[in-house]
Amino acid sequence: MDNKEAHTDTGRKRKKGLNNIPRKGVEHGFAVISLMITVPIFFTAVLLMIVLPRPKVSEIEKRKLAEMPEFTFDSYFSGEYTADVAEHYDDTVPYRDDLKNVGYSFKTSFGIHTEDEVKVVGKPSVVPKPVDDNKNEQSENTVPDADENSITESQQENESSAKESQAEQSKSESSQESSEEEEVTVENGIIVVKSNGHYRALELFGGGSGSTYAEALNNFHKDLGDSVKIYSMVAPLASEYYTPSNYSDFNASQKDSIKSIESKLDKDIVSIDITDVLGEHKSEEIYFRTDHHWTPLGAYYAAESFAKAAGISFKELSTYKKNDMEGFVGTMYGFTGDANLNNDPEVFSYYTPDNIDKCMTYYYSTDFTYTGKGNFFNGVGDIRSAYLTFMGGDEQVVKVKTNIKNGKKLLIVKDSYGNAIPGYLFGSYEEIYVVDMRYFKLNLVDFVKQNNVTDMLFAMVSYSAVGDNADNLENLRTQVKGKKIVDEGLKDED
Amino acid sequence: MVFSSLFFLYVFLPICLVCYYLCKTIEQKNIVLIISSLVFYAWGEPVWVCLLVFSAFVNWFASRLIGLFDVEWRKKLVAAAAIIFDLGLLIVFKYSGFIVENVNAVTGLGIPVPNIVMPIGISFFTFQAVSYIMDCLWGTVEPQKKYINFLLYLSLFPQLVAGPIVRYSVIAEEISNRKIRVVDISEGAKRAMLGIAKKVIIANNLYAVVEQFFGTDITNLSFLGTWYTVILYSLYVYFDFSGYSDIAIGLGRMFGFHFNENFNYPFICKTISEFWQRWHISLSSFFRDYLFYVPIFGKPRKYFNLFLVWFCTGLWHGASWNFIFWGLYFGIFIFIETKIGKKRLKKWNKVWTHIYSKIIIVIGFGIFYFTDLSQLGKFFMNISGISMITNGNEFADVLTRDSMLNNLFLIIFAIVVSMPILQKIKYFFYKWGNNVVYAVGQIGGTLICCTLLMISSILLVDNTNNPFLYFRF
Repeated sequence: MDNKEAHTDTGRKRKKGLNNIPRKGVEHGFAVISLMITVPIFFTAVLLMIVLPRPKVSEIEKRKLAEMPEFTFDSYFSGEYTADVAEHYDDTVPYRDDLKNVGYSFKTSFGIHTEDEVKVVGKPSVVPKPVDDNKNEQSENTVPDADENSITESQQENESSAKESQAEQSKSESSQESSEEEEVTVENGIIVVKSNGHYRALELFGGGSGSTYAEALNNFHKDLGDSVKIYSMVAPLASEYYTPSNYSDFNASQKDSIKSIESKLDKDIVSIDITDVLGEHKSEEIYFRTDHHWTPLGAYYAAESFAKAAGISFKELSTYKKNDMEGFVGTMYGFTGDANLNNDPEVFSYYTPDNIDKCMTYYYSTDFTYTGKGNFFNGVGDIRSAYLTFMGGDEQVVKVKTNIKNGKKLLIVKDSYGNAIPGYLFGSYEEIYVVDMRYFKLNLVDFVKQNNVTDMLFAMVSYSAVGDNADNLENLRTQVKGKKIVDEGLKDED
Repeated sequence: MVFSSLFFLYVFLPICLVCYYLCKTIEQKNIVLIISSLVFYAWGEPVWVCLLVFSAFVNWFASRLIGLFDVEWRKKLVAAAAIIFDLGLLIVFKYSGFIVENVNAVTGLGIPVPNIVMPIGISFFTFQAVSYIMDCLWGTVEPQKKYINFLLYLSLFPQLVAGPIVRYSVIAEEISNRKIRVVDISEGAKRAMLGIAKKVIIANNLYAVVEQFFGTDITNLSFLGTWYTVILYSLYVYFDFSGYSDIAIGLGRMFGFHFNENFNYPFICKTISEFWQRWHISLSSFFRDYLFYVPIFGKPRKYFNLFLVWFCTGLWHGASWNFIFWGLYFGIFIFIETKIGKKRLKKWNKVWTHIYSKIIIVIGFGIFYFTDLSQLGKFFMNISGISMITNGNEFADVLTRDSMLNNLFLIIFAIVVSMPILQKIKYFFYKWGNNVVYAVGQIGGTLICCTLLMISSILLVDNTNNPFLYFRF
């Protein structure tokens, strides 16, 4: 202490000006200066939050932002109103997406980055070792009623959500809740892997035997008989091919799940296992690194496998026109919040068939109300939504009339993975119907019969086939039976 | 309303501050504070705000009676009635479900379990009321004459929902007579900004890691993974709660109140007794003053009271057995330390006492985390290494390794900030004696705090759900 005081004294002698002022005065003075810095910064932020326009949607998260709630006494007394007001304010911060980008970039400074770094998002757990089929049956039979509720809930969410990504998120939540059930441990967290200088996000697969899916398809076959040929093509997630070996314990084999489905399907249903075909091409860009979908190229190889199985004509990729969109960063950036993905964009390439000008696409809402005709491949305003190029997304029914006259009509029952497939079949079918298994509101058996569909292709990704989404298939078969389906789009046909 | 939300920071707080500083007299300022506090509370509890106002009235009225009565037994009777009322509220709202569940479990009676949602912060304001009544009874404070002033004490929003448990004696004088100095506003603002940064930058991100490992079934979690996660969880709880206390103390100071410190770098302790002198000080001192030294059932019984205090400390944290175990767990170590004696403990090698205390504390936070007792059992199997033998768990796993790499700087930063290094730096700038050094410290500190607030705000854009842990107590 003495030393310090001595130092103080010499300090005072040596220095002039500021040091001559008594400490109390200096404290006060600098408190004022400190406030002169803090107050303008703070109140500028307050003001900007009021004045600047508030966004309504988040492009990164692919969702509508919270809206200002309406006041009711009920909602007020339940605490909902105030919570929603605060949520609306917090959710719709001006420049939300840009600020999120800054926040995500900041977070990359938390750790060290290596050439083969792996970042984990979510809660991956070690996947169970493959079990024999008898055991599977048992666990499926004991699925409790509570699970049914969670299914309906997730379905409702599916219906109400604007974008499919949200539906997938809700699915992952419900799968967390009932992780004990073998059928629903589908999603197992996400890893972002750096490899060959690029970042790639991978959804780890929790496994599942796909009984619900197989059972629904078998029931469709029973209802439709042999007049309609049914094909099942389950697409694996990218994690089947690109998961680092030290994470293999956290990633179940999708080939096993697909085989398990195959073993449960009726003999007359054609199962197309594309895991090996895609595996052969894994050095090509068959999956997006920053998005949860496969690339149109991956879908091409899948469509080729389908064409072989169905014995239909199929055109070489060289006959298609390649369209490139630079700077694509997909949904996995929003899911993971990993700025490395945002800083490592990729090219979104899609292929248009040579007869595109001779084909017409008719759009319907999910209850088959005709909404108009247009293009199958659409321009998208925001590159982040490039996957909407195909039919503008999932929440509609689409009919494509091609210039082929062979009397063959295909119905594709799909999730978003299936969106990239129809474009490769414009030379193979006279008509192609596309319905999303999560959103379609009519009875699918009636739909197939009344539209004289000849081939039916179930094309979806593995987690839809073995997860909660598969429950929708049985609903599609049983819901609103016996309604006459009128195609208003026929009036618009040339 | 949560402090670490943009709505609080950029809507509620600026309106409150502007109104507060526009008022000239203390009476007007107090009105602004009461209205703000009630709005703040009603934002989360639009119904139970009435309970807060009513509880304040009952306690104020009881204190008036205590002040009016001359006869000791009458004072005691009123105090007992008020405390029964306060604890009754706590039991009904916080513990009734737990009590019924356990009665059902023991007796097999199928009493329907009441589904009562606990009003936020009830544990805190109830304890404040109890401390006030006891102080009035003992004559250590003068009962507050004006109800409005007492309501201000009980509902003051900076400390309303998650502490610290401010004693009436600490702010009795300041309620009706306080000077708001510029230094207080400036220092308070900086303290609050630091608190927000502790919560948003450190605690929230640590919690994301904790959830990744503990938020799912931990059966297969490796030995190292369990230790790693529970250490991060301990750090998380510290930053979450001490961050909240910093905001409370900082905001209080901006309004001219000087609350006592609630944390004093608990992780630098050498014994468990010392830990509790540094951790959630307002709670441990509450139990020390109002329970430990109070003769219950006749004369004071040292060891009975010790375990009673730790039972209650545990139970206060939540209506769940793991919290009771957690309290008693610390009680046992404090009992052992008392038996060994302070002098002997002081002679022990410091390195060993540090290691001993940290291990006990960290494992304690494991007990604190797992409200599910079967998961808690697995936690003990994992952390002791037994599950490596019985379940074939690994010593270390790839998830832990990658998580450590991905969060290395965050963890180092958190450990550094949990030690009194920043305090030493501040002390250096302040006590150096040279005004230029002081000036550099002041302006530098202000700029750092503003930057931290901006970073926190940006990170809050991505946070849809980040309530403070201590909200539930």
